[in-house]
Amino acid sequence: MELFSQEDKMSSLISRNYTLLPVINRFGIRLGFKEKTIAEVCRENDINTDFFLAIVNTYTDENYFPEAELLSFSPVLLIDYLKNTHRYYIEYVLPKIEQLLNQVLLSCKDNCSSLKMISTFYQKYKAELLLHLQLEDEKVFPYIIDLYKHKKLNTNGSSIEVIENEHTNVEVKLSDLKSLIIRHMPPNYDDNTMNEFLTALFQFENDLNDHARIEDHILITQVLEFEKELRK
Amino acid sequence: MKENVFIIHRSEIIRKGLALILQEYFKMEITQLNSAKDLSSFAGISNSTTILILEAGVEQNTKAIEQLQKNNDVFLVGFFSETINESAGVQYDYHLTQYSSAIQIQKLIQVIRQAGSKQKNHLLENGELTSREKDVIKLIALGLANKEIADKLFISIHTVISHRKNITEKLGIKSISGLTVYAIMNNLLDIQDINPEELI
Repeated sequence: MELFSQEDKMSSLISRNYTLLPVINRFGIRLGFKEKTIAEVCRENDINTDFFLAIVNTYTDENYFPEAELLSFSPVLLIDYLKNTHRYYIEYVLPKIEQLLNQVLLSCKDNCSSLKMISTFYQKYKAELLLHLQLEDEKVFPYIIDLYKHKKLNTNGSSIEVIENEHTNVEVKLSDLKSLIIRHMPPNYDDNTMNEFLTALFQFENDLNDHARIEDHILITQVLEFEKELRK
Repeated sequence: MKENVFIIHRSEIIRKGLALILQEYFKMEITQLNSAKDLSSFAGISNSTTILILEAGVEQNTKAIEQLQKNNDVFLVGFFSETINESAGVQYDYHLTQYSSAIQIQKLIQVIRQAGSKQKNHLLENGELTSREKDVIKLIALGLANKEIADKLFISIHTVISHRKNITEKLGIKSISGLTVYAIMNNLLDIQDINPEELI
C-alpha cells in the first residue's frame, strides 16, 4: 500500500480504497471528481489538505501514525469531523444495522430464544456505544474546544486523560456479539439475511476502529502535547 | 505474530516491482514508502515481525528503525543497485540487488519467516469447556465477583482468574454480558435466574 499524497487523483483514492466513500462525504466531498487531484478538490471545498491526507491515510493503513509536524491543523477542525462521524453512526449506521437484525429475527420460525438473546445483547451494546458517543460530544469535545479557546488549564486539574475513557469496553462487546453469532448460536434464521447483518457489523467494526485510532492517535496526542505546554 | 513489510525506495518502479514479486507468492500487506523520512509515521508499531526492505547507500531513518527494533522483531534487508557494499552505516541482516531473481527474493522471505516463528505457538485443546469452567461461567453470569466465586467453589482467586482466562480464550467472549448470553444459550443457566435488565 502506498500512502496517498496530494498529487494523487481523487478518483484513484476511491478506486484504491472504496471504504473511504463515507469518509470523504463527511468532509463534504461528493463524487464526480473528473481528473482533479486531492489537493485541487480540497482547495475547492475549503479543506486543509494535510488534514485530509492524515485522515484518509490513517483510515487506509492501520499502522500509520502521522508525525507531529503533519499535525499542523487545529484540533477544532478534527472535532468537527469527528462529530460528523458520530452523526453518521447514530443517524445512518445504527438504524441500518438494527433494521437488518429485525429482518433476521423475522426470518426465524421456531426456537428463536437464542436469537432473542442476541437481540437483547445488541441493544445493550448499542446503549453503551451511544453513551460513549454522547460523553465525547458533550464532555470531551467541549473541553478541548474550551482549552484551545482560553489557552488555560482547568483549575481543578482535570485533563484529557481523565475525561476521555478508553474505547475498549464497547469494542469488546461488538467482538463478543460476532463471536456469539459465528461460533455459538444455532442457525435458526435465513442465511442471506444473517450474512447481510454480519457484513454490516464487520464494516461498522472496521469503521469504529479507524475512528478510535484517529481520536487516540491524532486528537488525544495533540491535546496531551498542548496541555503539557500550558503546564510549563 | 503480525507481520509488517515495508519497501522504502525512491524508485517507484522498484517499489512496485518488488511488491508484485512478493505478492505473487505470499499473501502479505506491503507498505511502500518513497522516502525514509515517512517511516517515522510507523514507528509506533509494536509486537510484530517487521521486515524493512531499504534502499542501500542512502541515508536511513535510524531513529525510526531503532524505535521499531525496541518493540518488534525487525529484519533489515538492504536493497543494493549493483554490488553489495557493506561500508554504509546500517548493518543489514540480508541483502538483495536489483538483479536478484524472483526465486531469491521469495526464498529470503521464507528464511525470515522461519527465523521469526521460533517462538512456541501453544495449541488450545478442543475448545470444549471443562465442567469446572462451566461452574465458573455459571457464577460469572449470576453476577458474582472473583472472590465470591472462589469461596463458593473452594478454590483460590488465582485459580478463578486462570479459569476465566481459559474460558475467554476458548469461547472468544470477553464481556460478562456476552458470557451470560453464552451460558443461557447453552442451558448452563436458566433465564429466570438472572435479571436480564441488569446483566445483559
